Amino acid sequence: MTLRRSPVLRQLKMTAKANIPPNAQRSSPMPAPVHITHRSLNTRLPMPAGHHLLPLLSDPAHARQMQLADWDSTLRLARQARVLGMLAHRLQAHESRWRAIPERVRGHLQAAINYGAYRAHLVRMELRDLERALPADLPVILLKGAAYLLQELPLAQGRAPNDVDLLVRRADLDRAEAALKTAGWQMATQSAYDERYYREWSHELPPLRYPNHPLEVDLHHTIAPVTSRTRADDALLFADPRPLPGSRYRVLAPLDQIIHAVIHLFQDSELDGELRGLVDIDALLRTHLRTDGDWQALIERAHHHQASHLLWYALRYCCDWLQTPMPEDLTLDDLAPPTIARAALDWIFTRIGPPRLPETRPTLAQRLATQAGLVRYHRRRMPPALLARHLLHKGWVAVTPSNRQSAQ
Amino acid sequence: MSAPSLRVRECDLGEIKQRCRAGQLHIDYGAALVRVRSPLDPFARTLQRTYGAFRLPHSAQTECADYHVEVIRPRGPRAFIRPQSQFRIDGIQPFDPFPLTNALPLFEWGVNWCFGQRANQYILLHAGVLAKGERAIIMAAPPGSGKSTLAAAMMLRGFRLLSDEFGVLRPETGDLVAMLKPVALKNQSVEVIRAFSEEAVIGPLFTGTRKGDVAHLAPDDASADAIHHPARPALVIFPSFEAGAALASHRLPGKDAFAHLAFNSFNYHLLGATGFEAVADVVAACPAYQMRYSDLDAAIRHIEMLLDDAEAVAGAQTTEDDG
Repeated sequence: MTLRRSPVLRQLKMTAKANIPPNAQRSSPMPAPVHITHRSLNTRLPMPAGHHLLPLLSDPAHARQMQLADWDSTLRLARQARVLGMLAHRLQAHESRWRAIPERVRGHLQAAINYGAYRAHLVRMELRDLERALPADLPVILLKGAAYLLQELPLAQGRAPNDVDLLVRRADLDRAEAALKTAGWQMATQSAYDERYYREWSHELPPLRYPNHPLEVDLHHTIAPVTSRTRADDALLFADPRPLPGSRYRVLAPLDQIIHAVIHLFQDSELDGELRGLVDIDALLRTHLRTDGDWQALIERAHHHQASHLLWYALRYCCDWLQTPMPEDLTLDDLAPPTIARAALDWIFTRIGPPRLPETRPTLAQRLATQAGLVRYHRRRMPPALLARHLLHKGWVAVTPSNRQSAQ
Repeated sequence: MSAPSLRVRECDLGEIKQRCRAGQLHIDYGAALVRVRSPLDPFARTLQRTYGAFRLPHSAQTECADYHVEVIRPRGPRAFIRPQSQFRIDGIQPFDPFPLTNALPLFEWGVNWCFGQRANQYILLHAGVLAKGERAIIMAAPPGSGKSTLAAAMMLRGFRLLSDEFGVLRPETGDLVAMLKPVALKNQSVEVIRAFSEEAVIGPLFTGTRKGDVAHLAPDDASADAIHHPARPALVIFPSFEAGAALASHRLPGKDAFAHLAFNSFNYHLLGATGFEAVADVVAACPAYQMRYSDLDAAIRHIEMLLDDAEAVAGAQTTEDDG
């Protein structure tokens, strides 16, 4: 399968100083080109997701080329990556395309659409309850799934959120927490250490849950951990929230929503099986950015939030795997991370980002990449001294049987 | 139209075992096609007995399976001390292992779990479904009311069995789709059904499962051959077994029938308006009865009568509407 190459991809490749013949860029199991002096690792679609899942997410019209047998693994991969519902909505949007999909497959897609609608309904109900509990004068910003849902973004369709994420100013955090606790939300019991971890070093409180409610509520005061390398600029985030018509909630400015999704995936996750994070970013880019000026503004915004390297990764993978349309003359040179960091991330993310069929055992490289993803996650999250302390504590808890009880 | 394929009981046991080991055994339940992998030969043998009437699906159908499941023996020390069997779907193990000898009940429970969790394109009523021709009877009742026993008996008296556990409603058409599985008979029911008909093909008895002693009644050929023919809801029965009780039934108001059906559903809460409308359509189309019984044959005769009445009423209504 050959996919069209966009000018941005070339730009990115130039930035990477990769010296690879153009025809070797994509074709999947082709032998590696001989004259590689400086190897860019991210030059092929990762398999098996690259066969059909990524092409489908890039362009739903790809469904027309698929046989019944192709759907067998594609449905499973999409479910594994938690994008089946989103994919289903995109396929259903086009009547004749939808009718052409085999009936058995449509059943799975319809089931995922129905399930997504149910989860969305749960989020709306939780937000309604939270609205009653939170003081009216306290500004509350919705993040991620809940924000996509209330903005009615195409991205929200079929996307089944796991929890509800709220953002308040740090100065309002205690008041918001107290209000929720008074109204009946409870924090799961934590060890004193975990409690301190959340409150001092994290960007959110321990999850809150109203008894018997299916969804947890995460109360954030910023979008990246306090101790992490990439710290978003809070002043900027809170200076520009957007109101939602007919709602007491607000959302981040569109560019900040993108930056948040980028930080969330490339700093705040272990990268393992996190294709959905990339699908989110792709959809936000396609929805929020209309003009070349918007793209320039995004790049500037990333600089302000110290997230330019992370944005570079995001754009590169969006472009490579999901064919996100980008302006022809976009220059990303300023964003590019150092070569070594880039190679490391490429090595990790291409191996563990996309979903794997459950019965195939991970290869040695994949297992190593999983570990590397974990190490990278922690390294980005905490400075070395704090990390050492954190790992010592967690190690101690893990080996001491009496502690194990209380840690749970 | 290609020739009908072999029934499972017509296949060589060696081939069934081989397919199981290779993960190439496909079972078509009607509403779902399941691909099974299992290296456990005794499990393959019980499958052949309880799924004997099922036809092996044609290879064109098996290109895409709904669920990929495994019944395996976990590794480690437990492989030797009181060995276990484990059920997995897509690498997930939804519940604790069973003793190795109870692989079939584990598998049956596992397939129910997969279907109940994932088949949200349908409204899944917790009900047995049987049919005469196109006309389907929905029998809904909480566990322990003798629903499975009555469904088994009805099949043995010539009704077509669509499912003893799932009333699978297709919201687009209002039809009931078959989810045909061996009927799990519990405790005394096993002997009741064995005595009820000589034609009953019953698998081995599994003692001490979570639901007591369980044995599986194999579906008959007619039911197995009709898995792809949907049926129209015609009658709703809420049966309850009561030892020694005289047969009695009374008509339920629509709102009560609605509540009983909807709140005994696996996914009514999840489907919102779609679920509401589908259940409301069933209640509008079918008379619903609460029925107390102790004698199976008397109960079946009564149900046949109610089904004829329902048809007469439906026919009269159509004539009225036409007039």
